[in-house]
Amino acid sequence: MSTERPPAPAAGTPRRSRLVAALPAAWAFLLLLLMLGPALGWGYVLSYDMVWVPQLDLRSDTLGLGSALPRAVPSDAVVAVLDGVVPAVLLQKVVLVGALVGAGTGAAALVSERSVPARLVAVTIAVWSPFVVERLLIGHWPLLVGYAVLPWLLVTLRGSAPGRPLPLRVPVLLLLGSLSASAGLVTAVAALAAGTRRGDPRRTLVLLGWLLVANAPWVVAGLVQPSSATSDPVGAELFATAGEGLLPGPLAALSFGGIWNAEVVPTSRTGWAGVALTAILVVAAGLAIVRLARGHAHVTGLAALVVCWGVGYGLAALSWAAPGALGWLAANVPGGGLLRDGSRLLGLAVPLVVVLVAVAVDGLLERLPDRATRVLVGGVLVLVPLSLMPDAVWGVGGRLAAVSYPAAYDDARDAVSIAPVGDAVSLPFVSYRAPVWNNGGHRVLDPLGRYPDRPVVVNDELVVSGTRIAGEDPRAAQVQTALEAPSPEARTAALRAAGVSVVVVEQLDGYPVPAVAGTRTLDGDLTVVELGPAREVSVSGARRAAMSTAWAAWVLVPSAALAAGWWRRRRGRG
Amino acid sequence: MGSVVAPLVSIVAGAVLGVTTLMGVISSQTGAPDQSPANAEAPALEYGTVSE
Repeated sequence: MSTERPPAPAAGTPRRSRLVAALPAAWAFLLLLLMLGPALGWGYVLSYDMVWVPQLDLRSDTLGLGSALPRAVPSDAVVAVLDGVVPAVLLQKVVLVGALVGAGTGAAALVSERSVPARLVAVTIAVWSPFVVERLLIGHWPLLVGYAVLPWLLVTLRGSAPGRPLPLRVPVLLLLGSLSASAGLVTAVAALAAGTRRGDPRRTLVLLGWLLVANAPWVVAGLVQPSSATSDPVGAELFATAGEGLLPGPLAALSFGGIWNAEVVPTSRTGWAGVALTAILVVAAGLAIVRLARGHAHVTGLAALVVCWGVGYGLAALSWAAPGALGWLAANVPGGGLLRDGSRLLGLAVPLVVVLVAVAVDGLLERLPDRATRVLVGGVLVLVPLSLMPDAVWGVGGRLAAVSYPAAYDDARDAVSIAPVGDAVSLPFVSYRAPVWNNGGHRVLDPLGRYPDRPVVVNDELVVSGTRIAGEDPRAAQVQTALEAPSPEARTAALRAAGVSVVVVEQLDGYPVPAVAGTRTLDGDLTVVELGPAREVSVSGARRAAMSTAWAAWVLVPSAALAAGWWRRRRGRG
Repeated sequence: MGSVVAPLVSIVAGAVLGVTTLMGVISSQTGAPDQSPANAEAPALEYGTVSE
């Protein structure tokens, strides 16, 4: 099995008409229309961790200067800047559509030398995937952007010859693929697996430099933030790769499922359809390996694909088999909590499977007697993944839909904006909400954490199946303690001492809110209470300097590289 | 030979798609019911539910 032949993707690529060449993109687009359906309507898609608001401001917490772990750095800052140009309601659609089309066309590009049916099968596997559906539902959109970047990064790096500068699109792909810590890890693994060359240490160093810059905002924010950056080990047990119906965790992960949260697993995955999809992928991959071993097919950059698969699947399997080990890592190693969601990096396993299945598809089609039969069988193979997960259609069975915020949110934003200097708190002090206006009560991270124009201290304690996972934010703990004070006046005094000058209260059955003393500036579905001037929560100069350097590097270094590359090209043409 | 193989392959391909579609539809209709809060008036605001 040869893995290191010189890359020559264009040489073996059959000439295709433009129409045929556009088929993978068209198919990816059709699949995303089918999958997102009502989510593409006017409004915001709010599902678990996916919270988009009409106007996200550049605040200290979006820039990584908050007291909580930088889970939404740099994604929130990017959105905060871009939604000043493109309305957030459209920007979210662009991101979701771009992620799915990018993932599909990227998969087709990975197998660009193969037949059209094989490329279309690759698109289906990449888009109509349990990984995509589950991560869409749980709202991990930066991870999906990274998932879309992954195949393009692999294609770009495998085609780049040693001794020559890295292609200009590499820094752009690395930035796009590192919008969150998890996405950054996925992108880093793929970049190092596909981009390093023996005997070319300079190239490796350049790549490492790019990776450092692309991930600088969240890495530096994590290093200089006030909490310990370690996490509750219980999280690793709860977020471990899980079984899906008939499939135990490691088998579910073979077909890119296994997310910990049973609420976001498509129902079809829990029945025989999930078993069938897994079996089909495993058999196809096995047949492809036999073809490769016999020299009947060749895959460029196979070693990098195997490394990616090994890391993605290995971590998912490890979290299922030994969640305690990952829990220890989360509790003792700063940043170790990044690995506690075992199947989060499973997107890394997709490119290898896509390529192997495409090899198997071509192997099957080559044996068929005529073109008409090949087209028929190819069409069936393209549709099989859809037929085995039909409930992913139309907003995953209506679970993803576009909704509008009630007017009370805008009123609350206005009322909070005129409160004295200080941070805000949203009460009841729990992380999630399930408002009826959100598609009939779908869960979402409290939108009031992002809606106001000032930092909001949110409760980062999570509750999963009745078990509490402690948060890491010391200010959230301070606010919690303040809310437990014996009287409204004492609560207000303690909140002001914690740097909070205003609270937004939502009345939720079963979640009584302790009264606070202050001036009501808004009454209605949301109540806003001004507490008075709050103690200033200072951020040290060193921390500011560190974050400024990280952001400057993140913005300026890739821009300078692109400008230099553009200039070189221009001069070369001249 | 080809004239015999092509219809046979077509029948098999159609059957495969039929079976997988049936399997997918049945699985998506007969799986575990969606998680619903024990008390609809006061839903538990949890992050999620791990499978049993």
